[in-house]
Amino acid sequence: MSRVIALCFLLLAAVIGFLHIDSRPVWAPFQVSPLQVDEELEEPVSGKSIGPNKLSIPAPQSNWLPDTGAPSVHAASLIALKDGAVRAFWFAGSREGAADVSIYSSVYDPKSAHWSAATVVIDRISAEQGLARYIAKLGNPVPARLADGRLQLFFVTVSIGGWAGSSISTLTSDDEGLTWSNPQRLISSPLANLSTLVKSPSITFADGRLGIPAYHEWIGRFGEFLRVDAGQVIDKRRMSSGRSAIQPLVLVNDAQDASAYFRQTRSADLPKQIPVSHTQNAGQSWQQLEDLAIANPNSAVAGLLLKNGTRILVLNNIEAGRYRLALLMSDPKSGKWQIIEVLEDDEALPNAQRKEFSYPYLISVDGDDAHLVYTWDRKKIRHRYFSGAWLKHSLSKAQSLETDTSTQEAQQ
Amino acid sequence: MNAYMQTIALIELSITCAIVSVWILQQFSTHALPLILKVILVILIGNLLFWPVGLNLPLVAYVRGVTGDLSIVLTLLLWSSLLPTTKPVPIIFKFAVAIISLCFYPFALGWGMIDPYAWGYGSIVFLVAVLFIALVCGMANCNRGVWIIALAIIAWAAHWHESANLWDYLLDPFLAIWATFSLFGATLQRRKEKMRSGYLFRPG
Repeated sequence: MSRVIALCFLLLAAVIGFLHIDSRPVWAPFQVSPLQVDEELEEPVSGKSIGPNKLSIPAPQSNWLPDTGAPSVHAASLIALKDGAVRAFWFAGSREGAADVSIYSSVYDPKSAHWSAATVVIDRISAEQGLARYIAKLGNPVPARLADGRLQLFFVTVSIGGWAGSSISTLTSDDEGLTWSNPQRLISSPLANLSTLVKSPSITFADGRLGIPAYHEWIGRFGEFLRVDAGQVIDKRRMSSGRSAIQPLVLVNDAQDASAYFRQTRSADLPKQIPVSHTQNAGQSWQQLEDLAIANPNSAVAGLLLKNGTRILVLNNIEAGRYRLALLMSDPKSGKWQIIEVLEDDEALPNAQRKEFSYPYLISVDGDDAHLVYTWDRKKIRHRYFSGAWLKHSLSKAQSLETDTSTQEAQQ
Repeated sequence: MNAYMQTIALIELSITCAIVSVWILQQFSTHALPLILKVILVILIGNLLFWPVGLNLPLVAYVRGVTGDLSIVLTLLLWSSLLPTTKPVPIIFKFAVAIISLCFYPFALGWGMIDPYAWGYGSIVFLVAVLFIALVCGMANCNRGVWIIALAIIAWAAHWHESANLWDYLLDPFLAIWATFSLFGATLQRRKEKMRSGYLFRPG
């Protein structure tokens, strides 16, 4: 008799389970904005015409995120606000991984070209109380815009061990980041939820849900694509396997097609280049492709797809160290990557004096321009702004220089 | 909902930790502890863990920081062990948990591109497989297994814990470790008994 009651209860559980699966949202395509083909990009400007055009093109701006008084800062990220301003997030404390590290925020006013004073978004104690568990340290804040207009901030928390013991938590804001909700924990790993981190911008699906490029770095080092609905992971897919690729950056090509560029974490004898994965079904499955032939010294890659289809990458294009940071662009036609500007370079200095320029993060406010932030020697966060006109002009200039060089080579 | 979820999770883990403490006490005691004493101890230790006694956080929050939320299966197995009429967990159940864990964790932690953990978000095939295991428990006269798996499925559908993944309601690393070591211990015990009976009945 007791067995019959137990089996009847199991039947009830089965019905509830099937109804739950049936109520789950289906996997949606990526949200894409239509590409605007840029006439100027169709034909590279000739070397002679560069001079007159240059006058009307604003030079890139550069400034610093506000000083928090903390000696160590890292992992800055950005999001465009509804009024055209830009909000930055970063973590700062006595050192990376210290208990006094907090996540800070500041707003950039594009009219005055100034950053507001830094405010604390969350510290370790409030994270502990909100998440109802011990938290040892905080890291990597990554903001996203929800379909209902709210801001969502994903960040990393560690309860035990190093960064490999991380989990992702999240906050939401109804007022563009002035105040934040209680944190919620995302569960994304079966082993005590250990070792999932976030670094790169999220992707929006057509149904308004978010796709978070995350990664593991304990036992395996691989990328994972999390499908997130409000404060919970509702699905996830593996983007790479093994121990060689973390911090995926996803650039969406169309509603189904996207490419992911990784920070390589390979052993010494393997190529120090950017690992690549690709999806053709909106992130439901990923295939590992050939590396992108750009050097990577085990450091984060930032990227952006502009409205006109041009791609931008900011990275350390060297095989060891993080003393050089370069901006590369690739136009949609050729797909060839060209170095547009070397933003920082300490190559001329002796090893001990070289600074670290790392963890770049890129966004565009209007689809043509680019805001970049990156860690400057772990002491400051540098912000650079590149107008749409400057980016277009610089790419055309680089293309024309290359055309001229190849023509000269052909004539010789 | 999140606030209640956090409180419920802390209460659940406090009770579980208290039961583990009582089990440890029982191991050091020469006599079986009476049920009423066990219940009193669970209430005392559970309260001690749950309320923040002069600390920034309750003690159980420190445990939770390390363990996360335990699976419903492990939680209910531990809770039911307090009952005096509880039969030992059948060896076939331990064997199934150990084998599933051995196959599951390497893939779920990054070995290859197949991720069985992702099935837990909404795979009908996976749910059917779990129901099949529960049915096998029923056939093997392990009604406790049927109840526990059914409750785990309902807890998952009700989003009882933070996770939306069915695996997190069914399996956790502590359950896997317990099942593996327990199975290993039972095998050793059986071998010892066999050897002993071999000596007794060895022809002279």
